[in-house]
Amino acid sequence: MAAPTRTAATAAPRRTPRGPLRGRRSRRHGSETLAAWLFLLPSLAGFLVFTAGPVIAAGVISLLDWNLFSPPRFIGLDNFARLGPDDTFWSALGNTAYFTFVSVPLTLLVSLGLALLLNQGLRRMAVFRSLLLLPYATITVAVAFVWVWLYIPHDGLINAVLGGFGIDGPAWLISDDWAMPALIVMSVWKSFGFGMVIFLAGLQAIPQQLYEAAKVDGASPWRTFREVTLPLLSPSVFFTVVTSIIGSFQVFDQALVMTDGGPGTSTTTLVMYIYRTGFENYEQGYAAAQSMVLFAFIVVITAAQFLFQRRLVHYDL
Amino acid sequence: MSSSFSRRALLKGAALGGLATTGALSGCSSGPPPGTATWSMWSSSPEEQRVWTDFGHYVERRMHIRSASTLTPSDGYPTKLDLRLVSGTASMVTALNGWLIPTYASRGAHRPLDDLIAADPDFDLDDFYPAIRSISSFAGRTYAIGFDVAPTVLYYNKTLLERNGVDPPSPTEPMSWDTFRQLAIELSKPKDQYGFTCSPTIDDLVSWIYCAGGNVVDGDRDTSPLDAPEAMQAIHYVVDLFTKDRATPPIDNLVTQNASGAALANFLQGNVAFMQNGPWQVLNVRKASFEWDIVPFPAGPAGSKPRVSGSSFAIPSGVKGDDLDLAWRLLKTLTSTGALDIYARAGRNNPARLSAASAFEPPPANLGIVQRILKGEVAGGHPFDVTTNWNRVRLLLAQDLPRAFLGQKSAGDAIDGVMPRLNALMRQHRDAVRQAT
Repeated sequence: MAAPTRTAATAAPRRTPRGPLRGRRSRRHGSETLAAWLFLLPSLAGFLVFTAGPVIAAGVISLLDWNLFSPPRFIGLDNFARLGPDDTFWSALGNTAYFTFVSVPLTLLVSLGLALLLNQGLRRMAVFRSLLLLPYATITVAVAFVWVWLYIPHDGLINAVLGGFGIDGPAWLISDDWAMPALIVMSVWKSFGFGMVIFLAGLQAIPQQLYEAAKVDGASPWRTFREVTLPLLSPSVFFTVVTSIIGSFQVFDQALVMTDGGPGTSTTTLVMYIYRTGFENYEQGYAAAQSMVLFAFIVVITAAQFLFQRRLVHYDL
Repeated sequence: MSSSFSRRALLKGAALGGLATTGALSGCSSGPPPGTATWSMWSSSPEEQRVWTDFGHYVERRMHIRSASTLTPSDGYPTKLDLRLVSGTASMVTALNGWLIPTYASRGAHRPLDDLIAADPDFDLDDFYPAIRSISSFAGRTYAIGFDVAPTVLYYNKTLLERNGVDPPSPTEPMSWDTFRQLAIELSKPKDQYGFTCSPTIDDLVSWIYCAGGNVVDGDRDTSPLDAPEAMQAIHYVVDLFTKDRATPPIDNLVTQNASGAALANFLQGNVAFMQNGPWQVLNVRKASFEWDIVPFPAGPAGSKPRVSGSSFAIPSGVKGDDLDLAWRLLKTLTSTGALDIYARAGRNNPARLSAASAFEPPPANLGIVQRILKGEVAGGHPFDVTTNWNRVRLLLAQDLPRAFLGQKSAGDAIDGVMPRLNALMRQHRDAVRQAT
């Protein structure tokens, strides 16, 4: 008689580890948790010290009248009350919103267009991708100086080219009407590379079977783009929109180098105004109040985007 | 098993090591040892850096202690100084551009030096030009000791004038405004040649305002006299050179910190006859490929009274006890005749002391007029009058004045537009002065 074989079912019942085994696992789990915390600690400390700390400090400073040297004086919400009649603040906010809501869609369109082109299986795509990414990888201040030179009204390259077509180009950076569009064009050129890389990664992650199925069903290229590409690219679009809007609300360096906020205050951005209030006019409390308003704007706009995300962003078809 | 344990142990060790290193680094102090003579200065070029290195060697030779200077590019210098003053890490002596002295003094960032001067029989304040003593004072007290001082002068392109059959201007008798304007127009052939260049900012405009008998700041009232007839005459005169007479190269750039550089670049191109600027640009103008020289600033209705600017060394308020004694000795050394001779020989600018060496070797041949203007022997000068909130005044005017220079607004409209805000800043300035005194 054959000896009964032990099946999994008849095998010795599973037992929760007890005694030394459970203790070993528990110790191991504990030491892993400790190691995880040790690894996280520098990053967490960095976040607390360099991100959360300054935000809280800015909130406190916004309630003070402080010129850095005299003892700070608590003035409650007076700094926020000052914002109402401050025309320059509202002008700076308007300029920042104008910059954001024109430059972000333009950047997205250019990025998406280039990503779609590069996704056509071009030869030497890596070379094109690297070249197109160069503006993004270049220091903004250096790029801004080059664009100042391009925009020179009388001898600049842009007006020289326009002149070749019989067009009398405007005085770009010293014109009330053209200074902000000129800044936006430069910013789009500077930042499309970032969106392009994100979109390209998104495009390459879309399964080819979906395109083949659409082809079999006789879908036109536009319909394929609308029904397959765009929905599956929506997470990339969402990420790029959120980061671009946050970045655009913080625009500073290119405006400082190219126009210094002028002519008048037509290109003064909010961050530039905050910097000037705090470090040139020595009104730390008022600058902090402006920062808190900017922070609130960014939080509200980002939260709104996350709300819309539920309806517009698709992670599968 | 043992390999897994080793890896974990290694990672844990690495994490702990990283934390320990971070902690150790953050706990370390990188400041110089006690007793070191520490001072801060702006420095934007290798040439400037060489001068300050020589200053450091001079301090070490004279004081027999170690010198440690903190050098920062000029654009970022005030912000860095603010942060170091607030964090208590500022040097015991800090350089200040003259137009910032009232700002720092009124905020209590630097200490008055009168007690130290009075207690030091070796220190002779009378050896400094009156203009720099005025620039370095606030509310009747001395807050800094100068190291350079100079009036704005008129650079002219000798070659261009000769080519156009125009005699060089007199090095001792300033041209009248009428003569200057006629010459500027005569020498202008737009796109190829221009009569004059300056920046469309208050820093350059103020020299013309002083020459007309006007000012931006009025010591006795709460309002700015910038809209007074004298100042308006000057503003119209300069704006007209830009917009009506077309005697200036077109404005390409409104960025304030580049504005003065743009005027210099225009002049160095060789197709501009006159440029207003200070002798601190002599080093740069020497790169010109044409012959040039300097003459006194054109005389307006009130004479030739261009802006006189200067820079100084000051002691932060936080310096006390033994450090204060060391700081005062350091400040005296940095502004001594010997140190200023180094500065003058390097051709940085005109030294602030009468006893320091005469400025640079030629060109310009007429450089001696700088010291003669400061002594009141030729033409004249006007110490740069600024407020305790001059940063804000400057920014306000930088926003609206260029529109007049560009012809986008009339000079009258531009000034009318800024006057309410300018007067508010003047009232704030008066309050700051009252509180400080």
